[in-house]
Amino acid sequence: MVKKRGLPHLLRLLFVFLCMNIIWYMAYLLMNHPILPSPGAVYEAMFHLGARDVALNVGYSLLRIFEGVLLALLIGLLIGLLMGRSQLWNRLLDPVVYLTYPIPKIALLPVVMLFFGLGEISKVLMIMLILLFQVIISVRDGVKAIPESTYDVLTSIGASTGQKFWNVTLPGALSVILSTIRISLGTAISVLFFTEIYGTEHGMGFFIMDAWLRLDYPEMYAGIMLFSLVGFVLFLLVDVLDYKFMKWRR
Amino acid sequence: MSSLRNSGLRIRGLQVEYTSGQPALGQVSLTLPEHGIYTIIGPSGSGKSTLLRAVAGLLPSYEGELLFNGKSVHDKETLIGLVPQNYGLLPWKTVRDNIRVAMRITSPDRESKRVMEAEISHWLKSMGIAELAGRYPLSLSGGQQQRVAIARAFAIRPTILLLDEPFSALDAITREALQQIFLDNWLAHPATTLFVTHDVEEAILLGQKVIVMPSAKQDTPEILDNTPVFAMKHEEKRDSNEFFEQSKRIRKVMLAKW
Ligand SMILES: Nc1ncnc2c1ncn2[C@@H]1O[C@H](COP(=O)(O)OP(=O)(O)OP(=O)(O)O)[C@@H](O)[C@H]1O
Ligand SMILES: [Mg+2]
Repeated sequence: MVKKRGLPHLLRLLFVFLCMNIIWYMAYLLMNHPILPSPGAVYEAMFHLGARDVALNVGYSLLRIFEGVLLALLIGLLIGLLMGRSQLWNRLLDPVVYLTYPIPKIALLPVVMLFFGLGEISKVLMIMLILLFQVIISVRDGVKAIPESTYDVLTSIGASTGQKFWNVTLPGALSVILSTIRISLGTAISVLFFTEIYGTEHGMGFFIMDAWLRLDYPEMYAGIMLFSLVGFVLFLLVDVLDYKFMKWRR
Repeated sequence: MSSLRNSGLRIRGLQVEYTSGQPALGQVSLTLPEHGIYTIIGPSGSGKSTLLRAVAGLLPSYEGELLFNGKSVHDKETLIGLVPQNYGLLPWKTVRDNIRVAMRITSPDRESKRVMEAEISHWLKSMGIAELAGRYPLSLSGGQQQRVAIARAFAIRPTILLLDEPFSALDAITREALQQIFLDNWLAHPATTLFVTHDVEEAILLGQKVIVMPSAKQDTPEILDNTPVFAMKHEEKRDSNEFFEQSKRIRKVMLAKW
């Protein structure tokens, strides 16, 4: 999206960013209290963070998100595909998905912690759980929405199941998959924050809570801004993928 | 290799029911020699597309036998080029990629990449759509999509070519030009061809035989020999006496089968 609209879009984003800073500064002047530092102080704190420190914390958070997203995609794609292409599997798994879908996955956090401890596994697993059901459902519906006739020519020339998957099923369902990732990414990042509060000394969640406990508010806000940046970069990534693979719709 | 009796496309007692008890086409038995164009004409809903889908191997079940040179048409040796009524292009692939995918699947160990790309270019050019190579199907007009679908069907060098109303989306002039192009390409690669059309003239202009499908499903199709017209130069067909006589004859058969 950013790429397509190019410079004007980028300028607009910058303008909004600037306005938000101005509002922030005015709020700072009005409140005049250490719990809301000025933008200048926060940017300065950000500047003083060690590059290694930032890279480590951002890196850990990104890695966890990537692992969680990847797992959710692999498993979700497999199950969604089975359900989308086979009546039998759909009838078998549909009630399972139907019953488990409404469970608020964040409520499973304590359970996951009990089963998998406080380490990396439970953090990645939570992200995966949040995404998985969305991916399954969107893949299934995306696959079902591909008209059967799209496969006709490939069938008539004797294409294998694998060839049909790569040339029809996956590209046909990709747009739904991408928009699902875009939507669930926000939730995944929020959950990541919670899971990084415990059992780790790396990650943006840890960084922000650590600064909070030390009452270092400028650094806390700097962490929040960095965390937002991580989210922004991820959104941008999905946009770039969308731009690359969805050209055919424009 | 194969005896004359077995050569070509043989359809024996084909019966298709999408919902049981409701035949989708009249009982079809046809013997069509190899390397010919056979046009199929008949009222809407008479089962023209169904017949092609059966040959293309797209129906989960049917009754009867479909043989090519003595073997099942669904044998590995028989390569089927299909131009579906809805063109059947993959919207997420460019024109060039659409053709490339089909070629890769049908001959995975085909020569070099360069040869294949050159061949794709050749087919695009011969259908007059070279400049569309990088476009996506959704950005093409119906007629342009049809040409891509035809180029793709030719590019895999099929033994059987199936076309379902391939020129229906075209204006009369473009249609005539494309009929000529189609015939030229076909002569260079004369696959056994079933060509469905709504248009009596087109059926006579292109077909060696004209197959008239009945609307009543208890009836059988009527096959008219059209060799005299087929043997003429294409540009001379339309003004010939034979063409005129043949039109009258086919219209009469169609009326009887309505
Ligand atoms: N998928 C399907 N399910 C059920 N019935 C079908 C299906 N496809 C076709 N039919 C029925 O089979 C019969 C033949 O249809 P078919 O599409 O082969 O006709 P056609 O001669 O190609 O018509 P047209 O000229 O309109 O394309 C029709 O009665 C149609 O309703
Ligand atoms: Mg039809």
